Parts: sequence; structure tokens; C-alpha cells
Amino acid sequence: MRLALTVGEVLLPLLYLLLFVAYLWVFYENRRFAHGWARRLLATTVVAHLAASVIHALVHRHLPMASPLEFLSLLALSLLLIYVVVERRLRVRETGFLVTGVAFLLQFVASAFSVAEPAANPLLEDPGYAGHAVLVLLAYTALSLSFLYAVLYLVLARQLARKTFGLLFRRLPPLEVLERMSVGAAKLGVPLLFGALALGHLWLYDLADKLDPETARSLTPFDPKILASWLIFLVYLVGLAGHRWWGWRGRRMNMLAILTYLAVVLAMGAIHHFIPSFHNFSLRGGV
Amino acid sequence: MAGHAGLHLWGIDHRLAPTEVRERAHIAPERVGELLAALSREPGFVSAVPVSTCNRTEIYVEALPGFAPFDSMTRSLAGAGLDPSLFTGEHAVRLTDGEAVHRLYRVSAGLESMMLGEPQISGQLKDAYRLAKEHHELGPVLMRAFQGAFRAGKRVRTETKIGEGAVSVAFAAVELARKFFADLPRHRALLVGAGETGALAARHFLQQGIGGLIVVNRSPERARALADDLNGGKGELVRARPWEDLPAALADVDVVLSTTGSLEPVILPEMVRAAMRRRRGRPLYVLDIAVPRDVHPDVARVDETYVFGLDDLDEIVQANLAARRKQLPGAERIIEEELAEFRAWIGEMDLRPSVAEFRAYLEDLKEKQVGYVRRRQSDEVAAAVDASLQQFIKKVLGRSMESLKSAESEQERLQHLATLHRLFAPQTPPTSQEPREPREPHDHP
Repeated sequence: MRLALTVGEVLLPLLYLLLFVAYLWVFYENRRFAHGWARRLLATTVVAHLAASVIHALVHRHLPMASPLEFLSLLALSLLLIYVVVERRLRVRETGFLVTGVAFLLQFVASAFSVAEPAANPLLEDPGYAGHAVLVLLAYTALSLSFLYAVLYLVLARQLARKTFGLLFRRLPPLEVLERMSVGAAKLGVPLLFGALALGHLWLYDLADKLDPETARSLTPFDPKILASWLIFLVYLVGLAGHRWWGWRGRRMNMLAILTYLAVVLAMGAIHHFIPSFHNFSLRGGV
Repeated sequence: MAGHAGLHLWGIDHRLAPTEVRERAHIAPERVGELLAALSREPGFVSAVPVSTCNRTEIYVEALPGFAPFDSMTRSLAGAGLDPSLFTGEHAVRLTDGEAVHRLYRVSAGLESMMLGEPQISGQLKDAYRLAKEHHELGPVLMRAFQGAFRAGKRVRTETKIGEGAVSVAFAAVELARKFFADLPRHRALLVGAGETGALAARHFLQQGIGGLIVVNRSPERARALADDLNGGKGELVRARPWEDLPAALADVDVVLSTTGSLEPVILPEMVRAAMRRRRGRPLYVLDIAVPRDVHPDVARVDETYVFGLDDLDEIVQANLAARRKQLPGAERIIEEELAEFRAWIGEMDLRPSVAEFRAYLEDLKEKQVGYVRRRQSDEVAAAVDASLQQFIKKVLGRSMESLKSAESEQERLQHLATLHRLFAPQTPPTSQEPREPREPHDHP
């Protein structure tokens, strides 16, 4: 098992690199066999990384989030998982090089600087926490992808408005598809975020019963990060409703996706650094 | 080539001949039979494939040495009711053997087309080939040349990007629309003006599958007539609306094609702003192909409105053509590879009769030896000797073929062939026969 983990640490960045190259090939060449290779490599990389994560969890008996580097690797996997769903729904691969490029960088850093056995917070062994953390990770990854596609929409819209018929004009998918990709990623992120919040609340009460009364009192559902997450959930929900029922489309819709995401990043950053919270993802031992 | 069969190409194309000459030289499918019948009466004629499109008329002929290209072709063209002078004058191109095959491969790959890399020529060549086969049996060289041309064309289109990007203004208009909308059938277009240019543009969008079309024109009768014409009696895909409905129609469609003859702009910013409020941010793609322009310059400043003109379409076409031209070296390399294969096949064709003679000689010797062993020994021993000699013949023939193929020059190859023939040809005892003259080298590919 440990040998498999070591092999995985070497092979995963290579697989991610190959995947990135395959998607770059799709972007520049747009040949059928390039698409075939990209599709197969994506499936292989996802399966290999999932297997490596399961083996890691079995060997170390905790979620592979014990260090920032392990977190980066899990983030790379979650990027691919969300991307797989978006790609399969819309069958568009021309933008894959951006996602796989970021995923490769994350995995490369995670593998290059990994330490043998980081000290893990005991919380990571708790299945309730693990489920909550994974859902949060997937949800925010989906919202990040939604942001990325909204940015691409604005880039292409700007090229069209300025009549710049260059490489991006030729190779990016139509505005309509970019919008669908952005909305599609948000449609994944919103229920995942809801699931993460709901599971978090349930787990919170479960955890409170196991702690001493003084520590248990600090676990409040009115924690700033939880409240901010509910607010984010509501804003995205309104955005999706606007798209579904009130016909919100085009540049403004995508601008809304970008501004909301930037607000999410800024708000979470501010809360993390300036407002006391029991919620610091426990890498340094929160609760 | 087998029996010295050669290829001849007589033709005219868009580079050399103006439209009126190409029109006169056109060979309608119903005339192909007449032309082939006339050609078949000519001595030495084997087979032919006439290819006639709006940009070219080319007749590929396989013939033996007795065929007198000039006399036979002019007689046959005249016999089929065509003007032979069109194919002999300044607009014509006449090529033979390697040059003819090279030309055929380039035509198939779209390298000789008016729109570099266009794909229609491939289907047109296949139709011509099929039609010729229906009328008569094609000779081996012509058949092989066309099959190679189809393969070369397919490889050029799949292994290079020579077919990518619109290279006509009409296709560029659709290509641009596809940068906004993924599925044209889910979107509707508005045609402003019912003139000839507008009708052409509308027809093109309909062919590309636009989901519906509204025609508005100052004269409602003309709008209705054009809508009826575009519908062609089938369905209600195209509808006419009164001129006054123009502002409202802008909210209902995603593509606007404006082609009126108006001296003043007819699509104004306030009109578009009102429509955009109802559209809730859905982008509007406006194509102004009128001169003077139909769309007020300030319309382009309205949010989510993208206005393009003929110059923009031309820019896209030029950029795509430049990108296609960059693919030419790759396409030429593929054609050269396919031509090399054709040349190798032709080379082996020349070898086959002499090698067959050599094989027959060896087989005859083997049979004599096996018969001798059978009489002196037993059937089992004879069978073993037979198998052993069979292997021996295979090896000797294989080695001989390799030596013949690897001859350093055509002259050397012909000398080897003559030696083989002299030694092993039937009814020519090797010791008493004068060596035959080697065949004249010819300029096959």
C-alpha cells in the first residue's frame, strides 16, 4: 500500500502533465484523435487520483487534508471531478487546458514538496467532518469554475465587440456555450454547498456532545463563516433562478457571476484573517 | 505501365478560363456517355473519367501507345457535341502521365480549387468516377490513380487544417453567428429588406439550419413574396411582417441581416435599446451588408449588441485563407507520399510480366524434378521435394523482385528486365535468342 502511494506521488504529476498537454493539443489543433486522447487521459487521471486518495485514506486512516500540500492535491482532484461533469454535459473540450493547467500546477507542487507523514488533526479521522470538508471543497471548486467560464465569456465578448478575430476567437466555444458552462458549474456548486452546510450543521451538534462544555459553547451555527456561506448560497441561488425563470443572460449575467465570486473570495479572506471563528479548517487545529 | 498504358489530361479551370468559357466546356452528366462512346472508337483508348464542375472541366484518359491524343480527343469531343477548340486553345491545360496524376491528386485535395481546401470537389470527383464506371470498365491505371487521389484528398483534409474556417463571405457570416450561438436551429433571424442580396444571405442561413426567419420590407408584397419563395411551399419557417413591426421584431430574434437600399440608417439606437430591454441581456448579432449602411453607428454602443459589416466578414475570410495557405507545405508532403506509392505501384506493374515468366520457368523446372523423384522414389519423397522447391522458388523470386525494385536507374532496371526476359521467356530458348531491345523509358510517375 505504501509503495503504491509512493508510486502515485511520482505518477500523478506526470499524468496531470500529460493531461494538460493533451488539452493544449485540443485547443491548438482541434483534431478528433486529440479529443480522444484528452478524453481517455482525463478518465485515467481521475481514476488514478481517486484510487491514490482512497489508498491514502486507508493507510493513514484520515482524509488526505492533513497538510496544505495534501489539500492542494485534493483540490486538483476536485477540479478534475467538477470539470468532468461540465465537459460531459456540454461536450466542449477547447477550454480544458485552463482547468487541467491549474490542476497540474497544484498537483506538481503537492507532489514535489510533500512530506512523508504530516501530523494530522484527529478531526480528519471523523467521517462527518470528512464528508463536510469534501463537499465544501467540491462546492467552491465548482463556483471557481463558474467564475473561470464567466471570465472566458467576457474575454470572447470583448474580442467580438472589438472585432479581433485572433486565436481565441477561432478556438473558444461560442458565447452561448461559455455561459452554459458557467451556469452549469454554478448549478453543481449550489447544491454541493447546500449539502456541505447541512452536513456541517448536523456534524456540529454531533461533535458538541463529544466535547467538554466550554469548548462545545464555541461551536455556534452563527459562526461568521457559516453565515457567509449561507449568504453566498442564497446569492448564487437567486442568480440561477434569474437565469432559469427571469431570462438573465449575456454579459451582465456573467459579470454577476464574476463579481459574486470575487466577493466570496474577499469575504472569506477577511473573515479568516480578521474575525474570530472556530472554523479555520483545522489545519492548525481549530476546534 | 501495363502494355505501356499512359494517362492524358485535357482540361480547363478557373485559373485559365473565364466563366463563359467554362460554361461552354461544361460536360453535363447526360453527355458523358456520348463522349465515352466517341472515345472508345479511338485506337488505343482504354478508359476515361470526365470531371465537370462550375470551376473546371477535366478529362482523364488512360490509353495505349496507339492513341493519338490530339486527333483522338478533338474527334471525340466534336463527336460528343463539344467544342474541341476550348480544350486546345489558350485556356486549356494538357498534361500526361506523372503531371496528370499530380494534378488529379491536387484537385482531389482542393489545392487547385478557387477556395483553397474546399471539400465539395472531393464529392464531385467521386461522382464523376462513379458515373464513368457506370458507362464502361475503367483501366487499372486510371482506377488506381483515382483511388490514390481520393486517399490523398482525405488525408490532406484530416491531417492538415486546410479545410478549417470560412473562406466565403456567406460562410463567414454563419461562422460569426456560430461564435454567439451554439445551435442555430434554436435561434431565429430577421431579414431587413427583400432584395437579391438579402434573399441570398437568408437562403444561406436557412441552409445552415437557422430556426426561423422573419422578413420585413417597406413593400409588404415583396416581403410576402420572398417569404413564400424561401419557404418553397413547405412549412412556415419564413414569415413576413409589416415594416412597422421592425422594432418589435428586433426583440424576437437573435440574428439580424440588414440589406435594404435605404440611403438613411433604418436600424436606430433607440429602437435597439428598447428591444434590448425586452431581451434581458440576450446578445443580438447584427450583420449590416447594405451599402450605404442600414445600421446607425451608435447601435454598436448598445449593450449586448454586436454589429458587423462586409469589411469584417472579408477580414475573417482573409485570415482563414492565410491560415489555409500555411497548411500547403503539409498538404504537398502528403500528396508527394501518395504519388510515391502510385509510382511504386506503376514500377511493379512493369515488373509483373517478366517476373511471371521467370516464375513459370522455375515452376516448370520444379515439376520436372518432382516428377523425376516420384518415378524414382515415392510419392512421400516427391511431396517433400515439392515443398522444399516451392520454398526455394519463393525465396528466389522475392530476392529477384527486391533487386529489380532497387535498381539505381530506370536504365538499369530495364536491363535487368530484359535479361530476365531473355533467359526465361517461354518459346525463347535462352541460348539461341537474340536479346530483345529494352523498353523505352517513359515518363510515368
